[in-house]
Amino acid sequence: MDRRDFIKLTAITGTSATLASCGNPEHQLIRFIPDDDLVPGVAEWKPSVCPLCSAGCGLSVRVMEADAEVVRNGERGLVKIAAAKKLEGQPDHPINQGGLCPRGQAAIQITYHPDRLTQPMTRSGARGSGEWKPITWDEAIAEIVSQLDQVAGEPAALAFLARPRRSRRLELATAFVRGFGAPAPITFELFGDEVLRRANAISFGRDQLPTYDLARSRYVIAFGADFLGTWNSPVAQNAGYGAMRQGHPQVRGTFVQVESRMSPTGANADEWVPVKPGTEGVLALGLAHVILKNNLRPDRGADRGAGAPGVNNVRGGGAPGLNDVRAGASIEGWSGGLTAYTPEQVEKISGIAAKRVERLARELAEHGPAVAIVGGPPLAQTNGLFTALAVNALNALLGTVGQPGGVSFMPQVSQPLAVSPKPFEGLATAKVLLIDDANPVFASPKAWKMRETLEKIPFIASFGSFIDDTSSLADLILPDHSFLESWTDGLPESGAAVAVANVAGPVMRPLHNTRATPDVLLDVAGKLKKPVTLPWKSFDEMLTSSMPEAAWATVQKQGWAEVTGPTPVARPALRAIAYAEPTFDGDAGQFPFHFLPYASQALYDGSLAHLPWLQELPDPLTSAMWSSWVEINPSTAQRLNIAQGDLVDVTSSQGTLRAPAIVSPGIAPDVIAMPVGQGHQTFTRYASNRGANPVSILAPVTEAETGALAWAATRVKIARAGDPDGSLIMFAGEMREHPHEHEVR
Amino acid sequence: MPHRWGMAVDLDRCTGCEACVTACHAENNIPTVGPEQAARGRAMHWIRVERYWEGDFPDVRLKFRPVMCQQCDAAPCEPVCPTYASHHTADGLNAQVYNRCIGTRYCANACPYNVRFFDFFNPQWPKPLHLQLNPDVSVREVGVMEKCTFCVQRISAVRTQAKAETREIKDGDIKPACAQACPAKALVFGDLNDPESEVSRLSRSPRGSKLLDDLGTLPKVTYLARPSDS
Amino acid sequence: MSKDSARRISAMNEDLLRPLVETSWRFWLLVAVLGSIVATGLGTWAYQMYRGFGMTGINMPIYWAFYITTFVFWIGISHAGTLISAILRLVNAGWRRPVTRCAEVITAFALMIGAMFPIIHLGRPWLFFWLMPYPNQRMIWPNFRSPLVWDFFAISTYLTGSLLFLLLPMIPDLALVRDKTTGWRHRVYGVLALGWQGTPKQWHRLESAMQIMAIAIIPVAVSVHTIVSFDFSMAPVPMWHSAIFGPYFVAGAIFSGIAALIIAMAALRKFLHLEEYLHPVHFQNLGKLMLMMSLLWTYFIFNERLTVWYGNASAEREVFLVTQRGSFAPLFWTMVACNFAIPFVILSIKKLRTITGCVIASFTVVIGMWLERFLIVVPSLGHKYLPYTWGHYRPRPVEIIIVASTFAAMVLLYVLFSKLVPIISIWELKVGEHFVADATPQEAAEHPLLKAHP
Ligand SMILES: Nc1nc2c(c(=O)[nH]1)N[C@H]1C(S)=C(S)[C@@H](COP(=O)(O)OP(=O)(O)OC[C@H]3O[C@@H](n4cnc5c(=O)[nH]c(N)nc54)[C@H](O)[C@@H]3O)O[C@H]1N2
Ligand SMILES: Nc1nc2c(c(=O)[nH]1)N[C@H]1C(S)=C(S)[C@@H](COP(=O)(O)OP(=O)(O)OC[C@H]3O[C@@H](n4cnc5c(=O)[nH]c(N)nc54)[C@H](O)[C@@H]3O)O[C@H]1N2
Ligand code: SF4
Ligand code: SF4
Ligand code: SF4
Ligand code: SF4
Ligand code: SF4
Repeated sequence: MDRRDFIKLTAITGTSATLASCGNPEHQLIRFIPDDDLVPGVAEWKPSVCPLCSAGCGLSVRVMEADAEVVRNGERGLVKIAAAKKLEGQPDHPINQGGLCPRGQAAIQITYHPDRLTQPMTRSGARGSGEWKPITWDEAIAEIVSQLDQVAGEPAALAFLARPRRSRRLELATAFVRGFGAPAPITFELFGDEVLRRANAISFGRDQLPTYDLARSRYVIAFGADFLGTWNSPVAQNAGYGAMRQGHPQVRGTFVQVESRMSPTGANADEWVPVKPGTEGVLALGLAHVILKNNLRPDRGADRGAGAPGVNNVRGGGAPGLNDVRAGASIEGWSGGLTAYTPEQVEKISGIAAKRVERLARELAEHGPAVAIVGGPPLAQTNGLFTALAVNALNALLGTVGQPGGVSFMPQVSQPLAVSPKPFEGLATAKVLLIDDANPVFASPKAWKMRETLEKIPFIASFGSFIDDTSSLADLILPDHSFLESWTDGLPESGAAVAVANVAGPVMRPLHNTRATPDVLLDVAGKLKKPVTLPWKSFDEMLTSSMPEAAWATVQKQGWAEVTGPTPVARPALRAIAYAEPTFDGDAGQFPFHFLPYASQALYDGSLAHLPWLQELPDPLTSAMWSSWVEINPSTAQRLNIAQGDLVDVTSSQGTLRAPAIVSPGIAPDVIAMPVGQGHQTFTRYASNRGANPVSILAPVTEAETGALAWAATRVKIARAGDPDGSLIMFAGEMREHPHEHEVR
Repeated sequence: MPHRWGMAVDLDRCTGCEACVTACHAENNIPTVGPEQAARGRAMHWIRVERYWEGDFPDVRLKFRPVMCQQCDAAPCEPVCPTYASHHTADGLNAQVYNRCIGTRYCANACPYNVRFFDFFNPQWPKPLHLQLNPDVSVREVGVMEKCTFCVQRISAVRTQAKAETREIKDGDIKPACAQACPAKALVFGDLNDPESEVSRLSRSPRGSKLLDDLGTLPKVTYLARPSDS
Repeated sequence: MSKDSARRISAMNEDLLRPLVETSWRFWLLVAVLGSIVATGLGTWAYQMYRGFGMTGINMPIYWAFYITTFVFWIGISHAGTLISAILRLVNAGWRRPVTRCAEVITAFALMIGAMFPIIHLGRPWLFFWLMPYPNQRMIWPNFRSPLVWDFFAISTYLTGSLLFLLLPMIPDLALVRDKTTGWRHRVYGVLALGWQGTPKQWHRLESAMQIMAIAIIPVAVSVHTIVSFDFSMAPVPMWHSAIFGPYFVAGAIFSGIAALIIAMAALRKFLHLEEYLHPVHFQNLGKLMLMMSLLWTYFIFNERLTVWYGNASAEREVFLVTQRGSFAPLFWTMVACNFAIPFVILSIKKLRTITGCVIASFTVVIGMWLERFLIVVPSLGHKYLPYTWGHYRPRPVEIIIVASTFAAMVLLYVLFSKLVPIISIWELKVGEHFVADATPQEAAEHPLLKAHP
């Protein structure tokens, strides 16, 4: 597609969308005219951005002619449209390099979801009753304007709730609420990485997620991070991992995973090291101790490895604020050689044999470039920050920070994300709440009383495209376009060596009577009694003005551009911290098991449970589909008389949930794991009332230093609750009935 | 020389992420069957990622193995088909002609790899989900057998394109949806008759083996072992 | 001819033609009950086609189950008749005379029912004719390499042969009915009798045709079940791919066929009051034959399983274990009891080899042989080479109803047939009586056979 076509398409989209929203009958004429630049049977490829996680993978969308049924003001018509047919990874995108994760592949089903909200609605029954009345956009805008006007002048009365994504979209929302006089948007994500961001700020002066040059690593040790599944920038990491394994003739990188439940990532490790939850940082420092004591620290000049072949050309070496001395200084006893972390001591605390610690340390030091990765459950403990700092220090010691084969930080042009560790606190005073596609009612512990907090807010408007656990409490629904129908953007913070700005225009016209949320905010801003003045007339104008003309031209062609600007440097106060034993909610006698909820490979944090392709995607480890399950070690299961598929009750201090059991050898006997994703009260025909939500029984334990939810710090007890009820659905046929027969013999 | 399409699956690269599985659904109009039918063993995944446990906690290991139609040169699914719905093409593909299939399911029994899937019901695409259907791939109806085609529609498209440009198909021109999506680049597709192609090179690797080689089905998919497995 | 034998002949005519002319309410009740079961089966099939094949319990990877089991079962049962009666005719076993026709009828009907199953089990049954070669403009032929196409030829040949084999010796009896009846019956049977007058030339031709058919039908019958076994043994499926399957299937077919024949004879004897014609000795003899087949069957399954166990090939061992000790073990040992233990005890002890004993043994054999086919089809498909794809199967109502209704169909067809045609070959019985020497002229005139045939 050339520039002219692009502008033409944009113009058509813009016009028709605006006209569509007027509520005048004559715009139907426009809506039913076919896209005249379509060639039947010929596909066009248009750039877009995957919206499903903050990795920000670049998409290439296959667009072809299709007959769409459209309803306008009650009239039904068939129109030939340019319809997205398939999402693919953009081959030249610096993050995903042509690949996509299974979730990205399924993102197209958001646009075509049969239960997508097609027009503005207002609540017609009691809150949460699911009764809605369609209204026009004019009425909807008038309603929200009047609600905002009523609370004008009360600064804490407006709250904006969103998912934390570095993007111009969130910046626009921020500008809107700030202009109104309200606090910045409240952003919450269950599997948010505040702890790691904070640690990186302390250790390296970078308040962001790290980028790993796995392609050139020779030795990777990961602490709990599911970096090949759902964590950070999985597609980029998979690409690097593949190259590490087989990208170089003769050399094959080694991979060690440390965790207490085998994640899909751990399943790929050459060595899998089960560890006591919350003691990963001790192991990291034990490794550092051995290296320091035996003077094994690799001498890694700046040129070392620079000539190595690689896919991901990391140039992070000179990044500002990168300071490995600081990384060590954050750990108590670092300069003294970490004498508190001898292999024997490590064995006592973490349960990993001293000999093994010794060997791993030597391997790490000898087979460089080596890199340590930390993420996920180890950081979701009360001592998470310590663990992250310990691993950062180990990386610094290994000398691969900012080096090929090591960890580095992608340059940034935007401010760090402000994630709210306790979003319910910010909501307590709100009188008007705007929700942009966040679902905290589902994704936060019951003890946070998110539902109760929201129920007390007098007016809630939701921009989301679906009725979910949270938006079902809304009073007004202002459905957004899908990402394929509108301008979409993102500023990924990891996964590439350069600062990437993802910006893409619509690839197809809106199917429904929806409107782009940023444009709605701009519209509302201007209609308020005391208008909020924003410097842009439309979201695409904001995007245009956000980058130089040359970059803008590139963006139009490929959906992303390399942007430059000063990377913000963080300088949080530095204080050496020591290992503190992790604390857990629940008495170990009464609740003998660690409870480990984890992001599901298919459904992520539950926000994708409404996509049928992902519901029916067999879980990589269990082959389960459409199900919730509880993973139990075989010896534990035998002791408690639990067999595959049996229903078990998992009880924490916060409550009980019931789900079928899966007996799995890849989990420690004192750990119970459960995927997050199911258990929605309402979330389209595919996910409503399916399975159980492990988040619901999490205790409100927080990480000691950051206040982030320590979602892996709850203890539970389990008991067999009944015979299999058929709710455990598996793809691998034999596993449906005889799991024990399902091993290679 | 005619082409001989083949695939190499690098088990050392494959991370079991299943991007290939969703990609295949998206490309090939493979329906989801819903929880009730899935529970009955009717879920369809032309490519699946098999996993096998080895050992017990804590010395436990796991193997992933993506399995799709192996496009056997001596395909047991072909001679048994009474209607030639399952048949061999000139470029060595095991083709499946949905229109010709009457649903005996004999081919699926004969296939040692269990990669053939049967449409037990008419597929459901609640509107407007139907808009995602790929117009280059037929939507199968109840009672027919379906399976991985090596994304034959993509092969044809490239062949037509190359012909129009009066050139040969270059190695790497054709990427089946699964290989295209695979973030770890574990799947490599190409012409086995071209000794220079990437897939030929990989197929000759000492790490390479064929799945159920001893059955004599002469698969055109080569599995490259994870070195630490041997 | 003695008074005695004259009385016997007319009693014979009376006894054996009675069912054709007298109809009790019981007959209609039976037909109504059976008919409604068959109608339910047909309705269920229509429902299955309407809703989709998924109404069955078939799944990935067990793509064949109840229907194919029952297909093999009925084709096996069909070996009762034609094959057994052909052998008995060729060895000129005198006791066969009252038995042959009821045996041959079983063949015809069992084949017709069995042949339905490959159609019922199709995903798109409305296109079943694509299994057959038929002239078409586009010159598209079926794949002659497919055992399913061989099945078509094998079954259609066997069916044609069996029908001929059944119909040929019916001609003199149809003529007898023609001669003994009046009104519409006279006219209808007149047509069916094909102008039979019992001339020496006609007798001679009938005899030669029977002789040729008896010889020709044996290899056909053997080939049919061998080809049915090829449906399995041609596929590289663990424990299917076996050279023993041909003879094993043929033996099993004859085995179950005899059992079906004994049950049919016992039923006819009781309900049509044919005690005079079907004697305990007939059951005894068939019982002995079934005992032999039971031992042969046991020998085959012993061979089959021993070689697999000894060979210990990984895939086959899984199928072996799951049948022998795993989830299919209860069915497996029931099968062994039904096909070997029970019939062996009953049939090898003379005191137990009564009519009742034989019938009991036959019932267990019929059940056991159905299970045998189920255990051939399902465990293997559920345990092919890649353990990730192993699976399980449970039948669903449509399959159970359709399969059950075919048993009703068999009985219904049998009942209707014995209503329309003498179920025991009257002329052959008469020949067996050897009273020709002193036949009165009147008696001789009554049946030309008595003149023409010694
Ligand atoms: N390879 C191949 N080529 C062939 C043939 C073949 O068999 N094989 N057949 C040949 C024959 S016989 C024929 S007739 C031609 C047909 O060739 P075409 O005339 O090209 O026929 P279509 O492609 O069916 O229709 C053309 C366009 O008309 C649009 N259309 C539909 N209704 C209307 C309407 O009311 N107004 C307007 N303005 N447009 C409308 C359709 O959306 C479509 O885009 O193809 C010829 N070409
Ligand atoms: N679904 C659908 N239906 C359509 C149309 C459509 O676009 N879509 N288009 C409509 C139109 S515009 C048309 S013109 C018709 C065309 O409909 P048809 O006239 O049926 O056209 P074809 O199917 O192309 O060709 C008919 C047959 O002619 C045979 N044939 C080819 N060459 C010769 C020859 O030299 N001699 C003889 N005897 N036979 C030969 C071909 O093998 C083929 O079997 O279809 C109409 N029907
Ligand atoms: S990792 Fe997956 S979900 Fe996240 S942006 Fe990339 S493709 Fe989308
Ligand atoms: S893998 Fe199975 S379906 Fe594919 S060609 Fe081989 S036998 Fe046929
Ligand atoms: S199911 Fe279809 S493709 Fe398979 S053997 Fe039967 S007719 Fe052929
Ligand atoms: S080659 Fe195509 S059809 Fe085959 S598994 Fe891959 S995506 Fe599916
Ligand atoms: S997409 Fe690639 S890495 Fe992922 S499971 Fe498939 S083959 Fe393996």
